[in-house]
Amino acid sequence: MIKITNLRKSYNGVDAVKIDHLELHPGEVIGLVGNNGAGKTTLFRLLLDLIRRNEGEILSKGNSITQSEDWKSYTAAYIDEGFLIDYLTPEEFFYFVGKLNQLSKADVDDFLSSYHVFFDEAILNKGKYIRDFSKGNQFKIGIIAALLGNPELLILDEPFANLDPSTQLRLVDMIKSMAMERKMCIIVSSHDINHVSEVSSRILLMEKGSIIKDIVGGESAYAEMVDYFKIR
Amino acid sequence: MNLSVFLNHQWLNFWRARNANKSLAIQIILGVFYFLIFIEIAAIGIALPFLLKEKMPNINPISIYTSYLIYYFLIGLLARFQLQELPSISIQPYLSQNVHRIYMLRFLNVRSLFHYINFLPLFVFIPFIIIVVAPSYGPTAAFCFFIALFSLVINNHFLNMYIKRKTINNAWFFFAVLVFIAALKGLDYLKILSFEKASSSLFITILNYPILCLIPVAMAIVIFIKNNQYLKSHLYIEELVSENKKKESKNFTFLNRLGDIGEMIALDLKLIFRNKRPKSLVVLSAVLLLYGFLFYPKYLATGNYSMLFFFALMITGIFISNYGQFLFSWQSSHFDGMMTYNTNMHQYIKAKFSLFLTVCSLQFLIASFYGLMSWRLLPIQLAAYLYCVGVNSFVTIYVSTFNYRYLDLRKSASMNFQGIGAMQWLQSLIITFGPALVFYLLDHFAGFWYAVLGVSLPGVAGLVFHESIINWLVSQFKIRKHKILEGFRER
Repeated sequence: MIKITNLRKSYNGVDAVKIDHLELHPGEVIGLVGNNGAGKTTLFRLLLDLIRRNEGEILSKGNSITQSEDWKSYTAAYIDEGFLIDYLTPEEFFYFVGKLNQLSKADVDDFLSSYHVFFDEAILNKGKYIRDFSKGNQFKIGIIAALLGNPELLILDEPFANLDPSTQLRLVDMIKSMAMERKMCIIVSSHDINHVSEVSSRILLMEKGSIIKDIVGGESAYAEMVDYFKIR
Repeated sequence: MNLSVFLNHQWLNFWRARNANKSLAIQIILGVFYFLIFIEIAAIGIALPFLLKEKMPNINPISIYTSYLIYYFLIGLLARFQLQELPSISIQPYLSQNVHRIYMLRFLNVRSLFHYINFLPLFVFIPFIIIVVAPSYGPTAAFCFFIALFSLVINNHFLNMYIKRKTINNAWFFFAVLVFIAALKGLDYLKILSFEKASSSLFITILNYPILCLIPVAMAIVIFIKNNQYLKSHLYIEELVSENKKKESKNFTFLNRLGDIGEMIALDLKLIFRNKRPKSLVVLSAVLLLYGFLFYPKYLATGNYSMLFFFALMITGIFISNYGQFLFSWQSSHFDGMMTYNTNMHQYIKAKFSLFLTVCSLQFLIASFYGLMSWRLLPIQLAAYLYCVGVNSFVTIYVSTFNYRYLDLRKSASMNFQGIGAMQWLQSLIITFGPALVFYLLDHFAGFWYAVLGVSLPGVAGLVFHESIINWLVSQFKIRKHKILEGFRER
């Protein structure tokens, strides 16, 4: 799915991201952990070609993401409010994103009704622009919009931090089943090592821009992370 | 915690705001610009008494001056609706601090007084009072007269804020006042009732009995207290910011046929109509359509075709230069999203061009009614239109790829220089004065039709080769894409 070689991004001579080699595969749920400033969000932005890398190459399905724009058709992301068009109502935003993914209005409506549990009735038909929603609800809107195009690669930056407990638990289930059933590749960053070890099949631990641990998710991963973060 | 601490914070906020870190050149240009405005207004204030004496030597200048004051204050109130904003958000961080509410109220009210609209009248009042009023009525009366006028300014200031806070729909009130002023003026004009005379005798009474200046002072105090009372019971963030209407989803069905590009245009239209700053710019463009009535007759009479062409450029192309100066910056708050949604840059740029083409064509069609004034205007406006869509639109898109400044959509447009850089000044020079000069030269040396043809041709060429031009623009955009993104992320 994604192949990174010799990737380097530095600000004022300090490496923000430095990854020699990394491959991500379909069906993997990758948990990205690390303290503030480890380079998680920078890595996400690099994956989406939102910042210019200093060196290296990122291939998505074999194509360089800077040369071709094909990756946009199967990649979706939600990093922050910068991914929402805040003067639209949620419905308008969904139809807009849907349209860009060749979905008709009816398709979008079908899709939304299948996710109505996730919404919790807090989003649709509220008569508000996105900018007037709370941060947590904006996050829900962003995640749903990202799922709209049925992506093969999904990138979520700290999804658990802004969601209410019920939605967090639902999201954990959703991510697991999407990776299993649709063979999606999902990358999630989080400070919540509990959720991460539960949801991820593979965990990448970042420190000062580099990936220092690449471990299999689950109980043992949780213990390993606790050991790591305790002494820091 | 007293008022000076709040004001000090505001002062720091002003100088440390992100867009205060503009390049020195821009700051100097802006400084000169402000300075010129102030000088001009002061010059008007000083010249006014002499002008009045010269033009109407038989009539006492004071009685003329005072007869218009009623209109001055009414129109001032109207202008305030548009130009003045409620200072509400700035108290947010203090609400949870150990600060008495009464201090915050005072701060809100005092802070709001620091607005250029309250200082400008002084430049008109003071010279007149010193030059004309003081010699004939004496310094005490002149001073009281000044106090009265200034109190009325303050009165207008707080009245406007009070109305703005109370009424949700300012637009209706705006039009009500507008109609009211028109009605007064109409009655004056038809000599049914003379409000000018009433205004004049009212203010001259104050000059004769200076103690009466306490009445406007009292009015100002009353409205100030009213404001305080209202604020005191409504000092919650959600209540300070008006507007709680239910928003409706809209769908521009006529754009659906254009596919993804139509969707992008619809997005731009929603952006314009749902955000303060682009909305006021576009309303301005619509008002500019009326410029023809003001300027065309004059230059038609003298046969000055290049000036006609210059104004035709403004009338048909104002949307391109007004909206286009921040083409990508309008979307700066969600540009990360725009660059990751499932659409490509070619489509994105093409949608911008299509938007220009659509609106510009609309402006051209409406402006064609000026053809009733003289048939000459039709070829002139056609040439201007072709130049605008075929050349200016592309130039504007190209220049926009150099604009890396974030823009806050919710701030109002007047005197707002956020996001303006040297490029914008240069751009407006290129797209209006350049073609006007070409037209002038061709008209002068070759003749009218050569001039029309001369500026139309590049426009037609631009339209014919629009695909390849767009491809080139996309490559330019790609080169600077990361820089734009980085700039927009810096708020």
